[in-house]
Amino acid sequence: MKILAIDTSCDETSAAITEHKIIHSNIVWSQSSLHSSFGGVLPSLAQRQHQERIDFVVQKALKNAFPRHTIYGILHTKIDAIAVTVGPGLAVALAVGVNYAKDLALKYKKPLIPVNHIEAHLLSPFAQPKNKMLKMQMPNFPTLGLVLSGGTTILCLIKNIGEYEILANTADDALGEALDKAARLLGLGYPGGAILEKFAKLGDPNKYKLPVPLIGDVVKNRFSYSGLKTAFVRLFESIKNPTKQDIYDLAARFQNSAFKHIERVLEYQISHKPYVISHMLFGGGVAANVELRKRLRKICKNNNIIMHTPYSLKLCGDNAGMIGVTAYLNNKMLNAKKLKAKYGGKKFIESVDINPKLKL
Amino acid sequence: MKIIDKFRNRDIIEVLNRGGLVVFPCETVYGIASDSHNQEAVNKLNTYKQRPFGKPYAIMCSSQKMAEKYVTLNKTAKDLYKRFLPGPLTVVSKGKHKVSKGIESESGTLGVRIPDYDDLLKLIAEFKRPIVATSANASYQKRPYKISDILDNVSEKQKRLIDLIIDVGELPHNEPSTVIDTTIEDGLVTLRQGDIKLKDKNEVLSRSEENTQNVAKELWQKYENYAGKRAIVYALEGKMGAGKTQFVKGLAKAMQIKEEVISPTYDLLNRYSLSTIHYSLVHIDTWRMLDASEETKNLGLEEQIKNKSVIAIEWADKIQDLIRSYADDAIVIWVKIETTQTETERLISWGTL
Repeated sequence: MKILAIDTSCDETSAAITEHKIIHSNIVWSQSSLHSSFGGVLPSLAQRQHQERIDFVVQKALKNAFPRHTIYGILHTKIDAIAVTVGPGLAVALAVGVNYAKDLALKYKKPLIPVNHIEAHLLSPFAQPKNKMLKMQMPNFPTLGLVLSGGTTILCLIKNIGEYEILANTADDALGEALDKAARLLGLGYPGGAILEKFAKLGDPNKYKLPVPLIGDVVKNRFSYSGLKTAFVRLFESIKNPTKQDIYDLAARFQNSAFKHIERVLEYQISHKPYVISHMLFGGGVAANVELRKRLRKICKNNNIIMHTPYSLKLCGDNAGMIGVTAYLNNKMLNAKKLKAKYGGKKFIESVDINPKLKL
Repeated sequence: MKIIDKFRNRDIIEVLNRGGLVVFPCETVYGIASDSHNQEAVNKLNTYKQRPFGKPYAIMCSSQKMAEKYVTLNKTAKDLYKRFLPGPLTVVSKGKHKVSKGIESESGTLGVRIPDYDDLLKLIAEFKRPIVATSANASYQKRPYKISDILDNVSEKQKRLIDLIIDVGELPHNEPSTVIDTTIEDGLVTLRQGDIKLKDKNEVLSRSEENTQNVAKELWQKYENYAGKRAIVYALEGKMGAGKTQFVKGLAKAMQIKEEVISPTYDLLNRYSLSTIHYSLVHIDTWRMLDASEETKNLGLEEQIKNKSVIAIEWADKIQDLIRSYADDAIVIWVKIETTQTETERLISWGTL
């Protein structure tokens, strides 16, 4: 099943060509990229930018996957379906991708598969690169799923593809947002999660004191980062003229407290599940953080759980590759005819709409 | 294409002066550069990188003094320069529009880098103006730590665009530089005390998050009779961690919204609807917006006002003028949350516009 996937849920404009779980091309026009290389990108926003870029991004994705074909030829003959993120996200941004995808689906008479952005982060570890097959032991359900990003902090139980039970969700700020805000407070600009990680490596996490969020919770079924943020503001303001080393130490301490919180909730949930769990899928922008990966992998190992992360850092951030893979995973039992029957009707395509607050 | 094995500044400057492209080493990866003041040279760089016009570049300067001719540095930027430059950071500031088209971003911001690489600093100083630089790989290819990483991955056509290569062998595998944007202000700087004239000023001391939520509840009950008849705007001001989201949580509870209110920082706008009433709670956060007024307008604020929604705006001080322009159409309650010496105490003051 070859899919043209589109994602415009927030800052990034992205398009991809996927085939089953394989990603043939995955173009991300990033405005606030995870690890921007120099000469890179600047944060700015939404509708207008998405509208200006979506054509370029889609064409580039098609061209990279099928270099010898014309774009319209590809859409007629090579693509089986179009997948698009319908939520959650920023309404004006989502609308650009959804409208674009609807137009294409109607024009080329292709099925249009609506996809949940959080589910796509969750399933992103299933994605495979072209050229080489990665050996991935298929998880047997139920398995754990963790999505940590700028807008999402969710630990869930994946009972099956499409069947999820939330174990813990954030009550206020998302982890990625908290990391960005801490970086911003330290004067590191925005988005600063990636640079906070760099600096934290150079710091001593024990020099300053910060609480671990919700340490008193007996039943650990939620996340919270607003209290930690407030404590960090106070701590930072108490230091007069911070030096470079102070900034490193503060970065290390903040990351440490923020990550400890995830670790404790994860440990609690693992030990309180009535069945044996042997796999965990971990996706989202913060999954690119090496230190956090290390810590969570250790917890998983101690509990005989194999942790899976996406095969590249690009797949941690927002991208359309994971959208295509998710569309496939949810519909892999459908042949072309059934796919068309379910998603290809004119009425259906016209009814596809954004859902900014879509839940997992 | 000519290859040299060390910085011979006279030759390099000669190439730059006639609009050529130079591949050079620095503390991160091999970069490719051209004159930042020659439009044809910048176009040539665009052709080499195969990227669309309008995707910004960074310039490399030899000193902060040189940088300040091209960008305006605010406090955040100055702190970063002082602490971390020269080094692998690209600091984005407001540009002064003195470089060729296509280097600055569409919104007029410009990234500056002062490389931690002596030969390069000397070259730029001698060149007397910034070079516009980017990593020398073709877009979406691997990071170039040696010249073959570049030449093996670009087309013949691209190779022909390179005029000079400074090949000093394989570089240590350092990470590329990190881009930091300093153009988003927290608003506190632009807010002058006394700017907001409130008709009636009230003040209360909150001792906990729960207290703050209760203040919100009272401020809801006070204006509830306007709900559905006119838009009600709660404009929230207060620094990071003051409890603005806590206030909105209280507001939502008072409005009988069962859903958990979470921070809208990332999504910019969250809407909470109730099946029993026809208006909804719209929760906006301008914190990470670049041109906050413009972007809030793009989110459809005017429509929300027309729809007589209840609107809570965090970091409202950033869009003071915009909010003021709706003062006739909506009830605007300005709420300021200030931290005190005590960790959990907050001074909450409010009044109508």
